[in-house]
Amino acid sequence: MRRPQLLSSALVALVALAVGFLIAGQVKAQLLTPSNAVARNQALIHSVQDLESTNVADRQKIAALRAQIAALEAQAANQSATTAGLRDAVADLRAHAGLTPLHGPGVEVDLSNGDPSTDPTGQARYLVNYEDVQDLVNLLFAAGAEGVAVSGRRITPISSFSGSQGEVVIDQGPPLFSPIKVVAVGDRNSMQAALDDPAQLTSLRIRVIQYSVRLKITGLPDASLPAYDASLEIPYVGPA
Amino acid sequence: MSARPRPSPLRPPRTARSRSSSGAIAVWLIALLIALVATIQLRSQAEVERSLQSADPASLAFSIDQLHRANESLDAEVNALNQQVAALQSGGSTAADRELAAEAVQLRMLEGLIAVHGPGIVFTFDASGVTAIDLQDAINSLMAGGGEAMEVNVHRVVEGVDVEQTDNGVTIDGSVVSVPWTIIVIGDPTRLAETADAMTQQLRSDRRVREAAYRVESDLVIRAVISERPFVYGATGS
Repeated sequence: MRRPQLLSSALVALVALAVGFLIAGQVKAQLLTPSNAVARNQALIHSVQDLESTNVADRQKIAALRAQIAALEAQAANQSATTAGLRDAVADLRAHAGLTPLHGPGVEVDLSNGDPSTDPTGQARYLVNYEDVQDLVNLLFAAGAEGVAVSGRRITPISSFSGSQGEVVIDQGPPLFSPIKVVAVGDRNSMQAALDDPAQLTSLRIRVIQYSVRLKITGLPDASLPAYDASLEIPYVGPA
Repeated sequence: MSARPRPSPLRPPRTARSRSSSGAIAVWLIALLIALVATIQLRSQAEVERSLQSADPASLAFSIDQLHRANESLDAEVNALNQQVAALQSGGSTAADRELAAEAVQLRMLEGLIAVHGPGIVFTFDASGVTAIDLQDAINSLMAGGGEAMEVNVHRVVEGVDVEQTDNGVTIDGSVVSVPWTIIVIGDPTRLAETADAMTQQLRSDRRVREAAYRVESDLVIRAVISERPFVYGATGS
């Protein structure tokens, strides 16, 4: 065999070897990694999506059933003064529990995640978290809110906030993510003054400066809040 | 005798040229293949890493747990409302009176307007330098952890009750509540105990905390109530 042919064969062999290694690496990346980690995550994501669909469907059922009950109660109230009196009393209690839509003067607060590139801490402080929303809702009630909704979820007397990084869970979920819109009906001037007070919402204000978290406050002449559409069951509590 | 075509001295013989060009094509094809595979390899690794980062398994597990529990609550509510519809459809105004009276009691309990009892926990907490935010966090954690009714130092607490930091200390609805705080929570005792356990462990690692403890009780009574405030600015309806 001549020298150029030998060199060419050696080159082809080397190249073939390199291709073999790369293909093996590729197969490993595409098959083994997904089967171990990514595929498991995908299964978890599908579970979350299924549960969220059920959650939405259940909320729709609850809203429809409450409307049906209101109609049946209205029929009964037409036949009895006692029933009409009870219905009025319950209507007032429902309104204060957040079971009725509410509208009036108010404020809207828009919260959005900041810029990840400004956060070298690795603690995701650029994300809006449930504690921001909890602090905001508490501040609004303290400043004269008569009703509050967070991204369309009405806050009730037994509402609570939880979540993990960038995820806000209110009551029976599903989780909310940035951008978050908080709307409150009540004493608009007092709420706006509290929101403008630099001594309030200090954690959030610091992150607005450091991580570009966005906080926008708008006064509304007529804000609207939806009715609560989840469970208010308190099975462990009875009247004393 | 037929003359064989004479190869041109300027061109290589056909067979040699063909072998040489097919070799070059093969080398180019292989090089192209290497570049392609290397690119795919690098990109797929980057994508795998990116997707792993964005879908944190702990967050997903938290969501699944939370949604399971939420959907159970929603199912229970659907069942309760279906029973209410059935009762209203079958019984006329008498059934309506019964259902409305029961709902009024339930709403008064959850709005903190009447005294309540049930199983739960008593959480005690003493620390120096604590603020309203610390109390708000404790209240929220216990409500998120299965609480259905709550009292702090004999002050009824529901969402919307003003817990504020003042010059005199932490106030609930304008009344100062000094430490130690005794928080009575009625609700699912198992979940509440888990929540309180996690809270006490975390609080004990805080230097400011002198005491953080809880006990489970089979029947607690919350007698403190709050007064209903009529709407001044809001009007019901869409």
